[in-house]
Amino acid sequence: MKPQGLPIEVHDLTVSYQKKPVLYGVDLEIAEGSLVGILGPNGAGKSTLIKTIMNMIKPNGGYVKIFGDAPQKGIKRIGYIPQKESVDWDFPVTVSDVVLMGRYGHHGWLSRIGQEDRNKASECLEQVNMLAYADRPIGNLSGGQQQRVFLARALAQESEVYLMDEPFAGVDAVTEKTMISILREMQKSGKTLMVVHHDLASAKEYFDQLLLLNMRKVAYGSVPEVFTHELLQKTYGGKLAVLSEMATKVAKAS
Amino acid sequence: MDSRITKGIKNWIIYLGILSASSLLLDAKQIGSGEEFNWLTQAERFFEMKDPSVRRVALGALLMGISCGLIGSFVVTRRLSLFGDTLSHAVLPGVAIGFIWAGEKDNFSLMIGAGLAGFAGVCCISLLRKFTKIHQDSSLGIVLSAFYAIGICLLTRIQKIGYSNQSGLDSFIFGQVSALSSDDLIGLLIALGFIGIFIVLNFRQLLATGFDPQFSKSIGIPNDFLQFGLWVLIAFCVISSLQLVGVILVSAMLVIPAATASLFSKRMKEYLLLSSLLGAGAGLGGTFLSFLGKNLPAGPIIVLVSSSIFFLILFLRPEKGVLFRWLNARSVQSRIAIENMLKTAFQIVEQNGFEDNEISSLEIMKRRGLSRAEVEKEIENLAHSGLATKNLSSNPAANLPPQTVLTLTPKGWEYACRIVRNHRLWELYLTDEAHYEPDHVHDDAEKIEHVLGEETVRQIERLLKNPKTDPHGKLIPSITDIHQGSLSRST
Amino acid sequence: MNLIPKFDPVRVFLEPWSTPELISWNSQVILMGLLVCWASGMIGSFIVVRRMALMGDAISHGILPGVIIAFLAFGSLDVGPMLLGACLAGLACSFSIEWLQQNSPIKKDASMAIVFTSFFALGVTLINLQTGHLDLDTDCVLYGEIGLTPLAPNITLAGNNVGNRSLWVMGLICLIIVSLICLFYRQILVTSFDATLAHSIGLPVKSIQQFLMLLLALSTVASLESVGVILVVAMLVFPSVTASFFFSRLPSILVCTFPLGIAYTFGGFHLAYWLDCSIAAAMAITATVCFIAALGLCPNSFLWKIVAHKKSPHN
Repeated sequence: MKPQGLPIEVHDLTVSYQKKPVLYGVDLEIAEGSLVGILGPNGAGKSTLIKTIMNMIKPNGGYVKIFGDAPQKGIKRIGYIPQKESVDWDFPVTVSDVVLMGRYGHHGWLSRIGQEDRNKASECLEQVNMLAYADRPIGNLSGGQQQRVFLARALAQESEVYLMDEPFAGVDAVTEKTMISILREMQKSGKTLMVVHHDLASAKEYFDQLLLLNMRKVAYGSVPEVFTHELLQKTYGGKLAVLSEMATKVAKAS
Repeated sequence: MDSRITKGIKNWIIYLGILSASSLLLDAKQIGSGEEFNWLTQAERFFEMKDPSVRRVALGALLMGISCGLIGSFVVTRRLSLFGDTLSHAVLPGVAIGFIWAGEKDNFSLMIGAGLAGFAGVCCISLLRKFTKIHQDSSLGIVLSAFYAIGICLLTRIQKIGYSNQSGLDSFIFGQVSALSSDDLIGLLIALGFIGIFIVLNFRQLLATGFDPQFSKSIGIPNDFLQFGLWVLIAFCVISSLQLVGVILVSAMLVIPAATASLFSKRMKEYLLLSSLLGAGAGLGGTFLSFLGKNLPAGPIIVLVSSSIFFLILFLRPEKGVLFRWLNARSVQSRIAIENMLKTAFQIVEQNGFEDNEISSLEIMKRRGLSRAEVEKEIENLAHSGLATKNLSSNPAANLPPQTVLTLTPKGWEYACRIVRNHRLWELYLTDEAHYEPDHVHDDAEKIEHVLGEETVRQIERLLKNPKTDPHGKLIPSITDIHQGSLSRST
Repeated sequence: MNLIPKFDPVRVFLEPWSTPELISWNSQVILMGLLVCWASGMIGSFIVVRRMALMGDAISHGILPGVIIAFLAFGSLDVGPMLLGACLAGLACSFSIEWLQQNSPIKKDASMAIVFTSFFALGVTLINLQTGHLDLDTDCVLYGEIGLTPLAPNITLAGNNVGNRSLWVMGLICLIIVSLICLFYRQILVTSFDATLAHSIGLPVKSIQQFLMLLLALSTVASLESVGVILVVAMLVFPSVTASFFFSRLPSILVCTFPLGIAYTFGGFHLAYWLDCSIAAAMAITATVCFIAALGLCPNSFLWKIVAHKKSPHN
């Protein structure tokens, strides 16, 4: 058996979106069982990084490997929690339907969803304290409940790596606590988690590793290493003018 | 008087453009439609404008184009395009009811009926939006099909019970210019007047609400009133244009000229002007074209003309058009090829310690990994642009054919130095300023060296305090070096 | 010369079923109506939840030039070429819309409006051009005449007369749509709700979306003869919107399409018989009436709210 690669390896990744550079030469190696927070100002390319790892955006340069495989192949081992706004919350499905969708990846094109999957879905709903809402239409949920449903769906996916885009956005304090404890549990059971986060103060407590991103990777490492005034200043103090200007030129030309 | 002359000239230009673009199409049409119909004489008739019906239709199309263009710019910027479509379908039952009321095809009552139906449609849409959770697109679809169904039902009913003068009713679905009366013209004129007055009076407010409704509400602009006013005006515009293009295609006139204008105008006033001009142009052009053929319906032709203008502009517009981008990409590519050759030449000369200034094609082939033919072609390009001279030299191995030898001209040498400097400076910038790993920077510099402008170079030099060597320890040719030629061939 | 004829229940409800000839004729019309309603309603439910209701409108307009070109090219009203032409035009329409959205600063709604009106204008122009030598019933394509379904030629299979061609074609398409949706319900559901998730479990999101567009084009084309390009939208939008007042799960909404289709068809048929007007339009009107009724009667509708508001004392 060949040695398994790192859960996520990103090499010299350059991505531009609609002719604007978003990521420029990003390198990243995430070890198994890490809980990584991704920090950076708006438009720093946090979501883009995640979407590129998910192979939803084609990079202009560099590559992504998932467990040593190309992303097309490795993507099935990744669970993804999108930004809340990315789905239509008026869609006519119930909470348990949404969680069941997490099980779809375990089935082929024509096989049917079984009782086993339903049990798993209920179990995951229980874990996020949402079992009571299983038959509710998703349109009636509050922001925190919506995020919990997403989390339950991710749990049901039973992936090895999870990428989460702002899971704490619009969530009340209690839910945030529940969610972070679930994330911790997932980490303990050997999952690798990357979480886009926007709150500096709580990031320090929530995560083990931090990735500071602002078009380029500013720093990546454990919290005490990275959470320094100087590095944060670099991340949030604006982009390097010349770099972003040139990156824009290249992106336009390509 | 003056304005009329300039307008005439403008129209002529538009005709000529459209004529040349569509002559092919028309030729094909004429073969089918028989001999007795000569499109040259028809064109003459059109331009002489002696025929009152021609004059009327042309004027009507012009007015419609202007008013649709004006109101359309708000439709497009506020993303109401499909709303316009819905509204134009929704007036149909009103037309039928107006007909039944008057007992014949009387323009005035048809207009009133259509106006009421349009108003009812607007009300239905806003009621559905206020009181239900149905999404905008579905509610538009609902109102559209419900009203249209009622309209069709009434129209078929009217046909069945056999009103004497119902023949012209069908024309409201596709428009029928031959039935255009002077009353219709007055209607168009009134609609244009209302639209003009509304826009002039509320220009600033419309701008503010369109851009940021929350803010404008906070400073006391009556958003809802303006929105409703716009809706009513759209309905008005639709109704007045019915006779010309019909219910289904009116929405095209609302959207297409304005969308075309949005391709290049940035400011609202410019935008309004441009889109009304485009609307007018399409109206006149379409009328003219439909006049040339025998079975060409004016409404659809007007729409086709305006959408072909749209696509032409989309492809041909400067800077962002597809054609322009393609040409630009080609010229950039050939420049990059030349620059890469120059850089290779520099590297070879550098490798020889700046002693030998003759570069053999064999060495270039080795370095670039290109075939002989490719290298020969690129050398040809260099020589052609005056950046290098080429000679033939006898090959060291006597049995092989003579190979090409390249010598850079002073101009070529300066250019080569500049490219190499760009490359190495950028590498240094990435490692020292942006803290990239040294093994990453080369590939990036390969791209950046071609786009780094003189100003940025100065900026980077200042930032890095005029460096002399790159991360790999190689010399960075500085600007003074380049100009004074101190790097130049020492022989 | 009265606009609304006197309502005579015997004439409206019993007369169409009084003689064997009428029964055989009208049952074919009804069957056609049902098939159209079901096929469009199924596909329409997905279109509505994806907020693309007007895409249905756009495609139904957009297929017109395809139909006319196929007609001109083959010179006959054969189903095969017409379906092919229409599907190609429908797909061209949806591709153009997407292309405009991605490659120009034009927004989604405007690009839809530009593309489908242009296609439609082209279609209408072509219709007008061909009037000299061929006869295609404009009204039939534009408004549809479901009442003429029984006039379609019969199909003979191995010497046996198996029945009306239009009915067979529509039935086949309805069957294809219903069975494909049942088979791939899960895949279509997940791509519609959360394309990212669909992507991450390895589903070809783009292909599924185009496949839906193709089904839409197919059902639109097939219903063209019966309900016409514009009223297709009614059949697409109404069932799912009406059902969604009462049900909050997609499967229930899909199932609801069937009884609603029956209601629309019978209601429309008899309404048309009473008013002596276009059956397709009457079906759309019935759908509207059902919609309004559902709007008023559904739990927490605004009518209940108004009633409750009046009852509650003002403080």
